[in-house]
Amino acid sequence: MKRVLIVDDAATVRLYHREILEAAHFAVEEAMNGIEGLEKALQSPFDLYLVDINMPKLDGYGFLRELRGQDLPQAPAIMISTEAESNDEQRAYVAGANLYLVKPVKPDRLLTQVRLLLGDTHP
Amino acid sequence: MSPTFASPPTWPWGVYVTPEPAETGITISEADFQKFREFFYRKTGIQFDSSKRYFVDKRLAERIEATGSGSFRGYFMLLRFQVNGEELQALTNLMTVNETYFFREEYQFQCLVDSLLPEIVARKIDRRPIRIWVMPSSSGEEPYSIAIYLLERWAGIHRWDVEIIASDIDTRILAQARQGLYSHRSVQYLPADYLQRYFKRRAEGYQICDDLRQSVEFTRVNLSERADTRSYRDFDVIFCRNLLIYFDDVSRKTATETFYDALKPGGFICLGHSESMSRSSSLYKVRKFPSAIVYQRPLEVS
Amino acid sequence: MGLIKTQPTVESVTEEVRKHPRDCAGLLAQLIDPNPTVRRWAARDLADCPDISAALVERLHQEADISVREVILTTLTGLGDATSVAGLVECLRSEDAARRNEAIEAMRQLPDAVAPIIRGLLADPDPDVRIFAVNILESLCHPEVERWLIEVIDRDPHVNVCGAAVDLLGEVGSGAARESLLRLKARFANEPYIRFAADLALGRLRDA
Repeated sequence: MKRVLIVDDAATVRLYHREILEAAHFAVEEAMNGIEGLEKALQSPFDLYLVDINMPKLDGYGFLRELRGQDLPQAPAIMISTEAESNDEQRAYVAGANLYLVKPVKPDRLLTQVRLLLGDTHP
Repeated sequence: MSPTFASPPTWPWGVYVTPEPAETGITISEADFQKFREFFYRKTGIQFDSSKRYFVDKRLAERIEATGSGSFRGYFMLLRFQVNGEELQALTNLMTVNETYFFREEYQFQCLVDSLLPEIVARKIDRRPIRIWVMPSSSGEEPYSIAIYLLERWAGIHRWDVEIIASDIDTRILAQARQGLYSHRSVQYLPADYLQRYFKRRAEGYQICDDLRQSVEFTRVNLSERADTRSYRDFDVIFCRNLLIYFDDVSRKTATETFYDALKPGGFICLGHSESMSRSSSLYKVRKFPSAIVYQRPLEVS
Repeated sequence: MGLIKTQPTVESVTEEVRKHPRDCAGLLAQLIDPNPTVRRWAARDLADCPDISAALVERLHQEADISVREVILTTLTGLGDATSVAGLVECLRSEDAARRNEAIEAMRQLPDAVAPIIRGLLADPDPDVRIFAVNILESLCHPEVERWLIEVIDRDPHVNVCGAAVDLLGEVGSGAARESLLRLKARFANEPYIRFAADLALGRLRDA
């Protein structure tokens, strides 16, 4: 079972993404900011990271920069933002994201992208 | 408004026995439980899964009763909106086990001798002592454990001087720590030969030998007082276990900023098993070592 | 070699003769010292000086070292006056996500100073600022939090502003939020996230 880490400070968003991913048989863990996300990734690396941008203590960019600097098997990361119009997208890729999605993400779109990034072509 | 640090109600960490709540007739629904666990996780970092439902419900019922809140929703609003955060502190206390004994959370001491000290020594360019600060000292089990660990498990102790300073807000507990008298229960996880080497048998239990008692400096410190903490500098390692979890958000942030200036650049801080810097500060680097996750003040300031 | 005890650490500090006497003008000068340790201590000690918020806010905007910024924020949180809060509001408009989040966290601790301006922030033309204003309410200890959140989900046209508000209503919402949550669900009928979040909140309303 592929493991996904959701890093987001909003409990409802974590739960929403969790239910979508668990229904598709992913194993999901949660962290509520970048520092906690990093701790969990260091304890046991994940196959994919789903990362919010605005979070207390360590935001999504900081999380990805730190994650990419670690001696860990590198896994794809999806950055999720509420900001459609600013230049966040560019910054997300610079920080190490593989994909940038704008909230709110529709369930089938999320699953399609997650599977693509994991090289999993099963429906 | 300056942050205040009330001592946790069960501090010093004696063995804490939760009284069985009387039948209260208070019901906590599944939705209540979910709501509570998200809130508690956000505030403390402690996560309860559904298997802990009974444990959590019992304690919630006890506090609902004790505070006269009448129902879960009344109590939850108290937790969420109380400005001084006292009730959250009382509840956290009830949800966690506060006891101290020799070699508690030993994996961190192992990390100290296997990973932290070798890195510190490799970086060192002077011959000055390596400095370790233990806060809170509590009744002394932790600083003495570190002393014993260094003597028994770290070869570097023959080449380096090490200073251990243990501080607490409570002068009575400090007196107790200096005296170093412990129950059988407190020393039960120590290897028998350590017990023999470092303790004297007393009628009341075991007392730390004079050499060790002399080797740890005990001081009174209130973490919220700038005047108290100003002189605490140049530490290589700080142990602050199972303390910050009882602080409110502002006090916790202030304390970790104080530790930042107490540490040398590159110095390490070890928190308790269920604690994470993710609730306190963004100033530290997360470092993973084979036996523990530890936080580090960055070497160079960007 | 071995375990040693050196006498009071206090000595090591009194030796360290300060460049400035511990007066407020001296501390202000230290706030721009090249050494970040000196800046951090100045930011801490300025808490004892009168009318200092404006200078701290100015420094906050310029300060590049996060360790100094955090201490300035702690001191501003302790002061909690209108000048401090106005300075924090400016940070909400920063391009730098870290600065925005620092300001949000500080403002969460200041219910009395934030209350008079929160409606203005919740009505800001920039949806991002409105989201950050909702984020401030997450931990704000103020009796009006639920009412402000209800106003948001009743009026705000932006799905993500409403999405953030619903998340919090799941925690602080009472029966007073029910009708608004139902209307919100109808208004964003094509947004699975809003449906999910509204249902979750409805199931958790305090007097459900």
